[in-house]
Amino acid sequence: MKKKSISLCLAAVLLFAVLLTACGRTAGPIPAQTAAQGDYAAVSAISFTDDDGRKINIEAPCERIISLYSAHTENLYALGAGDKLIGAHSTSTYPAEAAFLDIYDYNGDPEKVIAAEPDLVLIRPFITRRSPDFISALEKAGILVVSLYPESFDEFDDYINKLAMLTGTEQKARQELAAFYGNIETITAQTRSIKDKKSIFFESTEANLRTVTPDSMPAIAIELAGGINVAADAVPVEEGSSIASFGDERILSLAEKIDVYVSQRGAMNAGGDERSIVSRPGFSTIKAIAEGKVFLINEKIISSPTFRYYKGVKELARYMYQEVMDSLDAYMKNDKATRRDFANIVVRSMHLPIYIPYSSKYYQEEHKGHTYGMFKDVPWTDVDFDYIETAVLSGYIPWEKGSEGEYFKPDEPVTREELAQAIFIMGEFSGKNSNYEIADLSECNNTRIVQTLVDNGVFVLKDGCFEPDKEVTMQEIVDALLFVK
Amino acid sequence: MKKLLVFMLSIVMCTAALAGCAVPVSANNEEAEATAVGDASKKAILVVSFGTSYNDTRENTIGAIEKQIASQYPDYEVRRAFTSQIIIDKLSSRDGLQIDNLSQAMNRLVADGIGTLIVQPTHVMNGYEYEEMMAAVSPYKDKFADVKYGSPLLTSVEDYEEVIAALTADLGNIPEGEAIVFMGHGTEHYANATYSALDYMLKDLGYKNIFVGTVESYPSLDTVLKKVDEYGARKVTLLPLMIVAGDHATNDMAGDEEDSWKNAFKSKGYEVNCVLKGLGEYQAIRNIYSEHVGAAINGKAE
Repeated sequence: MKKKSISLCLAAVLLFAVLLTACGRTAGPIPAQTAAQGDYAAVSAISFTDDDGRKINIEAPCERIISLYSAHTENLYALGAGDKLIGAHSTSTYPAEAAFLDIYDYNGDPEKVIAAEPDLVLIRPFITRRSPDFISALEKAGILVVSLYPESFDEFDDYINKLAMLTGTEQKARQELAAFYGNIETITAQTRSIKDKKSIFFESTEANLRTVTPDSMPAIAIELAGGINVAADAVPVEEGSSIASFGDERILSLAEKIDVYVSQRGAMNAGGDERSIVSRPGFSTIKAIAEGKVFLINEKIISSPTFRYYKGVKELARYMYQEVMDSLDAYMKNDKATRRDFANIVVRSMHLPIYIPYSSKYYQEEHKGHTYGMFKDVPWTDVDFDYIETAVLSGYIPWEKGSEGEYFKPDEPVTREELAQAIFIMGEFSGKNSNYEIADLSECNNTRIVQTLVDNGVFVLKDGCFEPDKEVTMQEIVDALLFVK
Repeated sequence: MKKLLVFMLSIVMCTAALAGCAVPVSANNEEAEATAVGDASKKAILVVSFGTSYNDTRENTIGAIEKQIASQYPDYEVRRAFTSQIIIDKLSSRDGLQIDNLSQAMNRLVADGIGTLIVQPTHVMNGYEYEEMMAAVSPYKDKFADVKYGSPLLTSVEDYEEVIAALTADLGNIPEGEAIVFMGHGTEHYANATYSALDYMLKDLGYKNIFVGTVESYPSLDTVLKKVDEYGARKVTLLPLMIVAGDHATNDMAGDEEDSWKNAFKSKGYEVNCVLKGLGEYQAIRNIYSEHVGAAINGKAE
């Protein structure tokens, strides 16, 4: 039933997206700014009932917003309304710029919020239950409070549309929702024709080894990714909860059926880490564990009602169907590779799970290397954002620190020496005694790496030269990666 | 006026009477406390560790140290306490495993009438953790006939010599061109000098290719990178200088992130080998802790 409604919903949205695109073509492309202004003009009154039962009636979109829930924050940025945010809860760390907003806390003093003079405070029903006095203090001070939370995936569009109404971003919302379902459909289409469907066990809490309910966002993601949820009959720990009891005995009874073991990690309800899962008594009999198919997934992309949910679906599909999802076919070309291509090839060929920081204190800590989301030239909206961040934070591709900040230079070429550096770090190469003579070794930055890789046959010399600054093709990167075990 | 005088007098007398009463009461309390001291023939060794949430390694390290001590001192009951409440809470909620924190452990020892107590930390050095342990135990001192403390791993000059002997015996012959790097935790406490002292003694004893660094202090990763480069190694083996090969060893040392020690050495072109073996897994290191317990038993009470 659930599955049917999802696919129907998907189909409807897709159709809608196609129509929208078609409309766009006849009318010609609308610049983003004009579109936003058009939206403002079209709004006469905003009227709906929020998820705490408040009747919301306002005449114009809000301009000074404080968001006390990280998903609201993230979605407002996705709707292009990030500049309307004047503050957020400390857990708002995506996109990176959200982490630098003024911080407000519903466990703190409401006067701090009141003093900031917001025209809207966005909350969710959980906050109303947790801090009723805080919320009533805001309302007494005449501040508009709106509580939103989609209890199920079916309510996502409705939720986004309410955020869009509040911020006057209806048109952007339509585009983003269409793109969101389009992305999900692309993943579903990629795995649809696979005959040998994989089974997943999804661990939601390490305590008592719980899973998720069949109607939860992670369970729906498993279906959308083309997988089989081995715990599809799990019942919630309490009514309305998405956490479901399971336990080690039932997991072990399914040991041979579990192809992929996924553990959700995050601030709430953390599943186990790889090492603790693998070392649990009896768990070595689980097929996924014997085959090294244990993966962690950040709750932010799989359990949270944001546009990033499609990334969670994609990650699950990658965990199950690596060959299809991480195919390198598009890169088997003799075109010059950009650093963007390089990141894509590295993440695909190594099947690296995308990097997402777990700690909400991530931006308060100092990072020795690159800080996630801080490339000036790779914004979070970049199509290759995840793969570039992942390749860099794995230490495989170097980056540059300029006086203005951090730069990846995504569209610059890749040199042979840069490729050598990445291959050496990814693989396990021993020094050989062959010690080929490399005529231009002195021109290389890291002679040890170049010498080792030439000795191991990864790079062939041309007229006795390594040519460190020569640009490589996509095919050359793909070929060199074959040497990485 | 007279009335007031009588009133004041009565107050003074009353206070005096009360004070008089208070004297024997307080004496009774002291007597009660004196009788509350445990039976000296009931002996226990409390092994105090930071703790680890990694089940696979806990029994091979902390558990193995405790077992070794128990087998060597059969007259004593060996008990466990962890100092990290986060780890205690995690083990309780995740595995239903109940481990005492220090005050729980001390209260239980008192309740069980233990009179002779040896407190042996599994700490590497005499830093904040050790001081906090001492501060937590000392209020209970009067409840025991005898309390003594064993010292952390690296305390005396002999300890350094023995630790170096233990580690190098396990490493065997290190080929020319290979470097061994031990990664310690590092601290803001002045005991941080322990790491440099260990490195210094290694060089003094002729181990020019074994280096000591710390995650959070000096010698830093950059220092160690520089020293390994000066030595001229091609291959580097990384090992934790921590009792348990836990989170730091798995992530900071051997992890796949850009800033891990493994990646830092690899990006300089070294062939890197990571050994996830905590100090508690070396028999010779366990022997040192056991000797420290023996020294405490034979030594003076604090």
